[in-house]
Amino acid sequence: MKDLIKYIAQALVDRPENVDVSEVAGEQTSVIELRVAKEDLGKVIGKQGKTAKAMRTILSAASSKLHKRAVLEIIE
Amino acid sequence: MEKKTIEVEGKTIDEAIEKACNEFNLPRERLKIEILSEGSSGFLGLVGAKRAKIRAAILTFDLNVEEPKEEEPAKPREETPKSTGGDVRTEQAAVPAAPFLEGLLGRMGFPFPVKQEEKEDHILLNIEGDGSGILIGKGGQTLDALQYVVNKAVLKDGKEKKRIVLDTENYRKRREESLIELAEKLGEKVKRTKRPATMNPMNAHDRRIVHMVFQNDRQLTTKSRGEGAFRKIVIMPVRK
Repeated sequence: MKDLIKYIAQALVDRPENVDVSEVAGEQTSVIELRVAKEDLGKVIGKQGKTAKAMRTILSAASSKLHKRAVLEIIE
Repeated sequence: MEKKTIEVEGKTIDEAIEKACNEFNLPRERLKIEILSEGSSGFLGLVGAKRAKIRAAILTFDLNVEEPKEEEPAKPREETPKSTGGDVRTEQAAVPAAPFLEGLLGRMGFPFPVKQEEKEDHILLNIEGDGSGILIGKGGQTLDALQYVVNKAVLKDGKEKKRIVLDTENYRKRREESLIELAEKLGEKVKRTKRPATMNPMNAHDRRIVHMVFQNDRQLTTKSRGEGAFRKIVIMPVRK
């Protein structure tokens, strides 16, 4: 899951070297924390949160296969 | 002006020059610097470290201004690793759509092959899925999310102009057919009741399909209301 978000985020931002993803795993639900360069924050959130929503949809499709839940948090 | 020469040591040549400037209380340009020893940090900065040594003198007016250039080559060598190190930007080339999507699917746990087709006004990426429909999602939301991200990533640098459309298991065609069917049913209802009907929020592509259905209908007209993700179509009877 971590790799997935990192892969997407790095493709969207101008500074892929500043993309940092960490995962706080739980029994059922894990939290994926995404950090990007300050100027790239808008790129991973998108207009009206559209990009963030798309990433969350992709994430839930991927985690449903493993019968798990994953939550994406974008850290400012 | 009194001519004076001093010898200064430092960890690096730069440091030694700085010390000399302080000693004379003069800017670097007014000093004549002679490098006696370049110095080295030795092995891991521990063993065999040698201090840099310079000889500095105040420049007299008849001296060539170009003198200071003698030590110039030494300076960049000290500075380069630092300045480039902090400024590395990994500039990405244009992301090819199909391999990007395949990489994305693989990380999702769906390593399905992707076929790319160049169409007149768009690029079609067809995912050869396993028929489970998991990549389509409720109302096509997963497929649309993937399509959105692929478009964002590939169109980022502006080299690729064509829109990218994702499809799997012929979903787009099926969706279009069911949308037309739904629109026609609703249209009949509006004609019967003479009251407007509102459809669920849809994306631009789906709305376009519905608008097209009623394009040549003289009794009905369609409008889009709402903003962004909440934009929806209202089918209305034409007032005479």
